[in-house]
Amino acid sequence: MKKKIIFLILLILLSLQVYNALSGPRFPKPEFESGHSQPTTQSPSPRGIIFEYIDVLLLIISLSIASWLALKKRSRKGIFWLSIFSIIYFGFIREGCVCSVGSVQNIALALFNPNYKIPLTAIAFFIIPLIYTMFFGRTFCAGVCPLGALQDLFVLKPYNLKSWVQTLLGIIPFLYLGLAILYAATATDFIICRYDPFIGFFRFNASFMMFAIGGIFLLTSVFIARPYCRFFCPYGVLLNLVSRVSKRHMTITPSKCIQCKLCENSCPFGAINKPTQIKELDNQKTATKRLIKLSLIIPLLAFVGGWTGSQFHENMAKVNNKVRLASQLYFQNDTTLNINKNSIDSVEITTFETSGKPKEQLYAEAASIIDDFYYGGWIYGTFIGLVFGLSLAGLSVLKYRNDYTPNKATCFSCARCMDYCPVEPDE
Amino acid sequence: MNKQKKVNIKLWEKVAYISGFFSLVICFLLIVNYVQYKRIEPANTKIIDILVERLNKNPEDIELRKQIQELDLLARKAYFTNQWQVRTGAYILAIGVLILVISIQILNSSKKKEPEILLFDKNDYLNSHKSARKWVSMGGAFIVLLAMFFAFLTHNELGVKFAMAANPNSDSIFNAQNNNSENDKSNTNVLENDSSKTNTENASVNDTIIQSDTTSQEQKLSEFPSYKEIMANFPTFRGPWGNGITYKKNIPVSWNASSGKNIVWKRTIPLKGYNSPVIWGDKLFLSGASSTKRQVYCIDRNTGKTLWTADANKITGSPANSPKVTDDTGYAAPTVATDGRAVYAIFANGDVLAIDMEGKRIWARNLGTPVNHYGHSSSLMLFQNMLIVQYDHKTASKLMSLSTKTGKTLWSTPRKVKISWASPIVVYTGKQTEIMVSSDPFVASYNPFSGKELWKLDCMTGEVGPSLAYADGVVFAVNEYASLVAIQIGEKPKILWQNDEYLSDVPSPIATKKYLLIVTSYGVVVCYDSKTGEKYWEQEFANGFYSTPILVGNTVYLIDKMGGTFIFKLSDKYKQISNPQLGENVVSTPAFADGRIYIRADKNLYCIGSK
Repeated sequence: MKKKIIFLILLILLSLQVYNALSGPRFPKPEFESGHSQPTTQSPSPRGIIFEYIDVLLLIISLSIASWLALKKRSRKGIFWLSIFSIIYFGFIREGCVCSVGSVQNIALALFNPNYKIPLTAIAFFIIPLIYTMFFGRTFCAGVCPLGALQDLFVLKPYNLKSWVQTLLGIIPFLYLGLAILYAATATDFIICRYDPFIGFFRFNASFMMFAIGGIFLLTSVFIARPYCRFFCPYGVLLNLVSRVSKRHMTITPSKCIQCKLCENSCPFGAINKPTQIKELDNQKTATKRLIKLSLIIPLLAFVGGWTGSQFHENMAKVNNKVRLASQLYFQNDTTLNINKNSIDSVEITTFETSGKPKEQLYAEAASIIDDFYYGGWIYGTFIGLVFGLSLAGLSVLKYRNDYTPNKATCFSCARCMDYCPVEPDE
Repeated sequence: MNKQKKVNIKLWEKVAYISGFFSLVICFLLIVNYVQYKRIEPANTKIIDILVERLNKNPEDIELRKQIQELDLLARKAYFTNQWQVRTGAYILAIGVLILVISIQILNSSKKKEPEILLFDKNDYLNSHKSARKWVSMGGAFIVLLAMFFAFLTHNELGVKFAMAANPNSDSIFNAQNNNSENDKSNTNVLENDSSKTNTENASVNDTIIQSDTTSQEQKLSEFPSYKEIMANFPTFRGPWGNGITYKKNIPVSWNASSGKNIVWKRTIPLKGYNSPVIWGDKLFLSGASSTKRQVYCIDRNTGKTLWTADANKITGSPANSPKVTDDTGYAAPTVATDGRAVYAIFANGDVLAIDMEGKRIWARNLGTPVNHYGHSSSLMLFQNMLIVQYDHKTASKLMSLSTKTGKTLWSTPRKVKISWASPIVVYTGKQTEIMVSSDPFVASYNPFSGKELWKLDCMTGEVGPSLAYADGVVFAVNEYASLVAIQIGEKPKILWQNDEYLSDVPSPIATKKYLLIVTSYGVVVCYDSKTGEKYWEQEFANGFYSTPILVGNTVYLIDKMGGTFIFKLSDKYKQISNPQLGENVVSTPAFADGRIYIRADKNLYCIGSK
C-alpha cells in the first residue's frame, strides 16, 4: 500500500512536467546559410518558479529516501530504483540543471561578484546534499545525483584499481574544483557545465565531442566503476571532506564484524578500509618521522604551488573571452610578429569593431582580468600545493583498524557491500 | 546474508534480449536516416535553386512560382520530419538502452557471486601507501613541470601589454598628477627665482616638449595627446583635467589696464559668453552665443588676431528656438575643450561640435535641448579620445562619452540627480583613472572606458555649481546650502571631514596635499588643512567672486567680480603678493601660458605679460 502511494505521488509529479514540455520553444532555431554552427546551450529552457520549488522538495525527499535505504533499510535494490528515478527526473526531465555539481560555480560567482543574483535553487542544490552528507555520508552519490546514477547503471564488470592509482587519480577532482572556482569567480566560464560529459545525453543536445566523451565515460564505467564521480567530480571533493565527519554513516555489517573477509572485494569503488595487521604498526616510528618531515615541507609545497600558479596565470586567463579577443586584436595589430592573420578569427574582431567599443576599453578590461588571474593563480596554486602536501602527510599516517569499515570519504553509500555480509542484525 | 526476493530470471533475460535487439534496430534506423539525409539534403535542394533562377528571368510565371512554393514546402517538411525522426529516435534509443542496462543489472544482482577471499593480501597497507606517496610526489612534480613548461613557452607579458595598449600614455599620463603635491615644493619658487635649478630643469623639459611638438607636427599626430602635451597647454576649464592647477612659468604679478602696464593686447569678442579661454600651442579658443547665433573663436594668442571663426549652425536636431536662459548664465556658459587635434564646444541648446585646428567642422550633433532654468553651464572635459559631457538636466540626467573623432556616443550613463552646473574632472587615483562629478544628491565617480559608476556618496544638495577638487586620494565637494565635504575615495568612499561655515555656490575649490582653498561668491576666502579640515586662515574681500581660482605652482590667482586679481601664496597664512586691477567685470576663469595670463572680462579679452 505504502509503495503504491509513493508510486502515485511520483507519477503525479512526473505528469506535471507536461507543462514544461508545452512551454518549450514554438519555433525551431533558425538555420544560417553562412555555415555558422549554433553553439550548444549550457542551460536548459527556464522552468516555472513552482517547479523550482518542487525540484528542491523532490531533492529533499530523494535524499531522505536514499539515506533511509542506505542506513536503515540497507537495501541495494531500493537504491537502484531510486537511481532510475533520479536519472529520469533530475537527469532527463530537469535536463540536469541546476545540479549540485555545477552549483559550486554559482556559489563562487556569487561570492566574488556582488552583481550576480544567484538562483535560490542553486543555493539549495549546493547546500542540501552537503547537510545530508554531514549526517548520513554520501547518500547523495548513492542514488540522487543523476550523473552518478547513470554511470552506476553501467557498472557491469568492475575491476578494482590499485590503491596508489586511486589515490593519485583522486587528486584530479581537487585540481578541477580549484580551476572551476577560479573561472567562476572571475566570471570567465562555468567549465563544469561546459564539460559535463552526461548533460548531452539528458538534453539530447551536445557537440559530437561531448557525446563522444560521455560515451567513453559510460563505456569505462563498465570496467572502472563511476570514473567521473571518483576521478573528476568537483562537488565530490566537498562531499568527500564533509562525509569524513558524518555522524551516522552506513556500515557494512549491521552488527559486529566477524572479519570473515567476504566483503573485502565487494566494493567496485575500492572504498572499504581493511583491518590493519599488527606487524604493519611496528613501523609507527618511521611513519611518525616521515609525517613530521612532510608537515614541515607542506608550506614549501604550498609556496611552490602558488608560484607555479602565478606563472601559469596567463595561460589560464586565455580561456576568458575578453582576454582572448584582446589577444587577437593586439597580435593582429602587432606588425613585429610574424603571425598568420588568417589564423585569427576575424569574425570576432569584426563584431567587436562594429560594436564601436574603444579598443582601449577592451585592453583595460583584459588587463584587469589578467591581473585577477595572477592573484587567482597564486591562490589556486597554493591550494593545489596544500592538497599534494596533505595527501602525502595523510599517506604517512597509519591508522589502526580492527574491522572492515567503509571509507567515509570515498564511500558512495551504494549498499553493494551489505549483501556480502553474513551477520544478521541485532534484535 | 540479507534475504533476497527471487528474481524472475527468464523474464528479465527476455527483457534484456528484446530491449537489446530493439536498441540495435533503432540504432540502425538512425544511421540509415542519417545517411539518407546526408545524401538528399532536403534543405539544400538544387532543384529549387534552378527554378528560382528561372523565375528571376521570368517573374510573371505564376505557375512556376506556385511550383517553387510547393517544392519548398516539401523540402521544409522533409527537413523538419527528419529532425523529428532523429530526436524521437534518440529518445526511443535512450529508453531501449536504459531498459537493457536495467535488466542486465537485475540479472547480475540475481546471480550468486562467490566472494573473493585472498589469503595473501597483494596490496598490503604499507606497500600501497609507499607506492601512493611515490606516485603522488611524481604527479605533483609532473604538474609543476608541465605548468612551468607551458608558462615559459607561451609567456607574453599580456597583462603589461594590454595595460600599455589601454593607455599609451600610461607611463606618464597621470604620474605627474599623482605627484602634484610632491611637485608643490619644486614649484614654490617658480615666480620668485627664475634662475633656480628647478626652473632650468623645467625649461629644458619644456624645450624638449616644444621640440617634440614641432617634430610631432611634422609627423602624423597621434590619436590623442600625451601627458606632456596636455601639461604644456591649458586645454580645458580649470586647466589640465579640470583640477585648477597649472605649472606655467614666469607668470606676471602686476598689470594695470588703465595705464596699459603689462597688457600685451586686448580685444573684444563678437558674441557674449561666460565661458573661459583654453589654450593649445599658439592658439586660444573660446566661444560666444546669442539666442540666434553660436560661434567658436580661434585667436592667435601672441597677437590677439582672430585666426578663424566657426559657426555652430545647420546642426541636425538643433531646436529652432534656443531655450530660455538667465542673463547671468547666457547661451555660452560651458568652456570649450581642445586636445590639439580639434576644439570641442557645447551650447545652451544642446548643440555640440568638433572643429579642427584650422576651423573646419569635423562633426556636429544635438544632444537634445537641456531643460535647465538658468542655462546649461557644465564645461566639456577630455580624456584620451573621449569627450566627456556632464548633461544633468531636469528631464534626463546623464554622463556621456563621445568619440572625439566622430561624435558618436561611446557610452551614456543615466544618473538619478537634479540639474547640475558643475563640470567633470578627470582623476588618476594611483590605480586607475576616474571621472568625478558633483550634483544633488551625490558626488560620484565613473570608469572613463565604460561609464560604469565606481562609487558615489550622498552628500550634496541644492543647485550645485562648484566643480570638484582632488588631491592625494581625497576629493572635495562644496555647495551653498549643502556642506563642504572631504571624501576619501575608494570602493566605499568615506567622509574625512566636513564643514558648513563657508560655502560656495559658483567658484570651485582648489586642493593640494596640504591645503584646500574655498572661495565664496560673497567675498570670503578660506584656507583649510585638506586632511583635517582645520582652518588656517580666512580673508574677506569686498567685491565677491564668480571666477574660480587657479593655482600656479603654489601661487593663487583669484579674480573678483570687479576685475581685481588677488595674487597670494597658498600657505598657512594669507600672504598677498599683489592686487592688479583690470577695471572691467570678470566672471570667467583665467587661462595660463608661460609668461602670459588670458582673462576674459565682460567686454574684452586680455593678454597680460611682459611686452
